[in-house]
Amino acid sequence: MAIDQVHDLQQVYRKILHSMSRPGTISSLADNTRKVDFDLSCFHATFLSAMTFLDAEVTFHILSTDQQNLIDKISAYTSSKFAPINEADFIIILREDTEESIQHAFSQCKNGTLIDPQQSSIWIMESSPLSNVGELTLTGPGIQNTAELHTSLTSSLWQARNVRTKEYPLGIDLIITDESGQVVCIPRTTSVEMKEVR
Amino acid sequence: MKPNTHFAFFDEGSKKEIRRAIMKAVAIPGYQVPFASREMPIARGWGTGGLQITLSIIGKSDVLKVIDQGADESVNAVSIKKLVYETTGVELTEQTDKASIIQSRHRIPEVALTEDQIIVLQVPMPEPLRPVEASELKTKSMHAEDDYSGVWLMLFEQIMKYGKTATGADHPVYVNDRYVMAPSPIPRFDNPKMHESEALILLGAGREKKIYAVPPYTNVESLAFEDYPFAVETFEGKDCHLCGSTDVFLDELIDPQTGETIYQCNDTSFCIDQLNKKEEVEVQTSYA
Repeated sequence: MAIDQVHDLQQVYRKILHSMSRPGTISSLADNTRKVDFDLSCFHATFLSAMTFLDAEVTFHILSTDQQNLIDKISAYTSSKFAPINEADFIIILREDTEESIQHAFSQCKNGTLIDPQQSSIWIMESSPLSNVGELTLTGPGIQNTAELHTSLTSSLWQARNVRTKEYPLGIDLIITDESGQVVCIPRTTSVEMKEVR
Repeated sequence: MKPNTHFAFFDEGSKKEIRRAIMKAVAIPGYQVPFASREMPIARGWGTGGLQITLSIIGKSDVLKVIDQGADESVNAVSIKKLVYETTGVELTEQTDKASIIQSRHRIPEVALTEDQIIVLQVPMPEPLRPVEASELKTKSMHAEDDYSGVWLMLFEQIMKYGKTATGADHPVYVNDRYVMAPSPIPRFDNPKMHESEALILLGAGREKKIYAVPPYTNVESLAFEDYPFAVETFEGKDCHLCGSTDVFLDELIDPQTGETIYQCNDTSFCIDQLNKKEEVEVQTSYA
């Protein structure tokens, strides 16, 4: 069954919105990812997130250099254009990307200006299975007390993220996806602390 | 449902643009994100900001409630409800607890909202600094610099003139200790409901082309001075002449027969709910 551009993407959006307004809350897109019926070199949840947000008005960037096929596919489906890391509105990080290249991307990407903090990049990042038992403690708007989260991002990557969100309202907002169609969001307002150094 | 309109009126490109603006608004609580406000089949200033948000987020399984100054049946609410219904076919309700999306003009319902609900507020003037600074460029840089002396001065002058802060509605709030935000013209009575709200609050200003948000569990503090603390409207000793509720926002009316001042719940669906509950008890006791 093919994806319904109107209703599936609306459902995906609402789930991501729910997770973005409640950082650490994992939402499942499984009902919608099941309908993606072609082969992709990214998670179905990653692809659906890109479909939900990208169009001709915004640009995207994919880190790895041998993903021309995926770049072409996303461009073809959304009319969004590929742009260099320091200009892209959306940055897609795939499972295969190295820690080094992600570190570099964190330091190069847009994080807004004080006048226009919304001119920042949104990251769609892939992780090994997400869960609410793990190494991260989250606090901030949208979280009642604290939230716990596990992702496959290393502590040095979280530090790199924390550096770019230090000067609030400047910052970057993350949508993290996994293989089973789960998503979790970490907006710039969330304070992410590592419980222990891995 | 009209078969020839696209689902939720908008083309998908418009929805995407508004959806992206909402995401940024949620990520930067209280900050007014500019967006390309669309031409709508209702006039600007009649709730187009709220309507555009509602149409961009709504799906087939949503249940919609629209209120205008607390009333489900007033003309603005009814027109918006009809437009959304005719282009989506979603279920409509008047009961606050049954709705998944509540679009409202100038009130937050009396019934506490839950985390599965989104409240969309219509905003005429999103810029709390506009009374003190006419230039958009300057107000934007004042927000950037965390310079809110103008708003404080406005409140201070009200205290000098009237002995208290004299904001009737739309009393400015600090969101997440960073942005000063216009909460839309809700009475001061509703300001505390925004603080640590369970529901996501989205605010849309169609004419001014701004979208902003207050995520759940976020600090929202009404601006006040230590010696002139923030105070909500009080209705002490008054109750609704229909259902008898106290502790709710009451409208002051004149009884056309007697010429006396009477009070009535502003939130009509809450009032009807109370009346129904009373009726139920009455029926059970008198016909048992």
